[in-house]
Amino acid sequence: MTVTIKDAEIREHLRERSVATLRRRTYISGVMTALCWLAITFAAVPLVAVIYQLLRRGIPVIVKSGFFTTLPQQPTIFDANNTGGVSNALVGSLAVIVYAALFAVPIGVLMGVYLAESTSKFASLLRIITATMVGAPSILMGLFAFEVVVQQMHVGFSIIAGSFGLAVLVLPVLATATEIAIRNVPSTYREAGLALGAKPSTTSLKIVLPAASTGIVSGIILALSRAVGETAPILLVIGGAYAIAWHPNQAASALPFQMFQDVQSNYPSLQNETWGIALVLVGAVFIISFAARLWAARKKKVQR
Amino acid sequence: MTSVSGITDPQFEDPRLLPAAMSLRDVSVAFHGRVAVRDVTFDVPANRVTALIGPSGSGKTTLLRSLNRLHDLTKGASVSGTILLGDTDIYQGGIPTTVLRSRIGMVFQRPNPFPTMTIYENAVAGLRFNGVKKKSVLDAAAESALTSADLWDSVKQRLNAHAATLSGGEQQRLCIARALAVEPEVLLMDEPTSALDPISTKRIEELMVELKKRVTIVIVTHNMQQAARVSDLTAFLLMGEDRAGEQIEVSPTLKLFSAPEDQRTLDYIQGRFG
Repeated sequence: MTVTIKDAEIREHLRERSVATLRRRTYISGVMTALCWLAITFAAVPLVAVIYQLLRRGIPVIVKSGFFTTLPQQPTIFDANNTGGVSNALVGSLAVIVYAALFAVPIGVLMGVYLAESTSKFASLLRIITATMVGAPSILMGLFAFEVVVQQMHVGFSIIAGSFGLAVLVLPVLATATEIAIRNVPSTYREAGLALGAKPSTTSLKIVLPAASTGIVSGIILALSRAVGETAPILLVIGGAYAIAWHPNQAASALPFQMFQDVQSNYPSLQNETWGIALVLVGAVFIISFAARLWAARKKKVQR
Repeated sequence: MTSVSGITDPQFEDPRLLPAAMSLRDVSVAFHGRVAVRDVTFDVPANRVTALIGPSGSGKTTLLRSLNRLHDLTKGASVSGTILLGDTDIYQGGIPTTVLRSRIGMVFQRPNPFPTMTIYENAVAGLRFNGVKKKSVLDAAAESALTSADLWDSVKQRLNAHAATLSGGEQQRLCIARALAVEPEVLLMDEPTSALDPISTKRIEELMVELKKRVTIVIVTHNMQQAARVSDLTAFLLMGEDRAGEQIEVSPTLKLFSAPEDQRTLDYIQGRFG
């Protein structure tokens, strides 16, 4: 076949047109990239600002000697900077979250297993309730704990009442995380188990649950690390003691609780201390969730 | 010797005349009332490989999964007709599904060794699920099953490694070993090589030919050459007018690929559609 002049002309025309198209696309691409960066900047500004402020105000507070190891002090007009430390709140927070975990983790995980495995009407109803409770205001859990534990059970202001509030708060979160982790296990594993003659319950317990365990454990860790910083569920019930306390029936303080108190103080030194407490809470959440992700990623690698 | 039109090989035996390991009579599978496969009737010859072929949507996998009652898990699925394992009606005969499924093993489309288990644990998983605890029994079963699956030599040094450390082909052979360890009579294979490279595929095909001495194999395959290479009997399914899969022809493999009875079979094996 011979190439006629006409063919050559057409080819030249097409080449020119594709050059023009390419130029236009490059231009549009540049504009869009710039817009994306602008959007990212707007999204990042508040986040970075919070972290910047947290570090700028928080670091000087936590490096102060005795911040982690001494009890809080009430500043006086003679010694306006005498704020003491947060040792009681630190122990209180730890105690509250441990008791809450003891209560919420087993029940939440079992509930998640049930939600993932059951197709009954009751399970669907429970799923709706769970979804609603995930979105419920956390002060409601505080109110509930106050009503049930402090008043009706006559326990009074106590660590266990705070734990109860936190536990009720994280229960639906744990159930949902477990349910998702189980549902994410490919159905082919379940089928393989059943195809070997295993009972459905054996298949769930020995195959599906272990395969979901990474997801479940990271869900637990993230839910609990989030719960450590929750203020509302413990605000009304923990009592706010100025002493180290870890017994369930004792009144105690907790980090978010102390923040709430300090920020209302008339002394700038106490108000300033809240930044240190906030830094401790955020730092804890950061370290825990980072470790959880690292652990999950490593576990996944072993299994792939 | 039987005469089947179109076959002149004197060695040829008609698998349809062999004793049946499983029998299907008017088997239909429906999901929420919509029929996916209709009125399938044929015998699965014992100690032979039976291939189910046909284009996508012809109901091959659906039919295969009715043979070990895997549809029981699917809401809205219903199986009608009769499926016999030996003399036992697997749906109406009162046989528990756990017993049934330990007599009919299955290998899936993608290698799916249990991700949290080691090679050894995978190989003996079926036995453990069925209550076998004695270590000597498990050890012997693991070696025997892994040997049968042509995997023992390459994994015997690393039985406690995670199953995920194996290559795709090795994982699929581990899945075959896992199924064989419970000593099933029938092995169902759902496109077992579709996720594998040609060399791994070849090994599994050779394995099938070896394995049929002890188990009856039913394999679903998209690959007509594979059916021609490994199977003795081939069932050709096709989607009908109402989108339900229908049985077009069940013939000895040699015959189906050389002188099919139905024009649609000829069109399919010659690549005119599908």
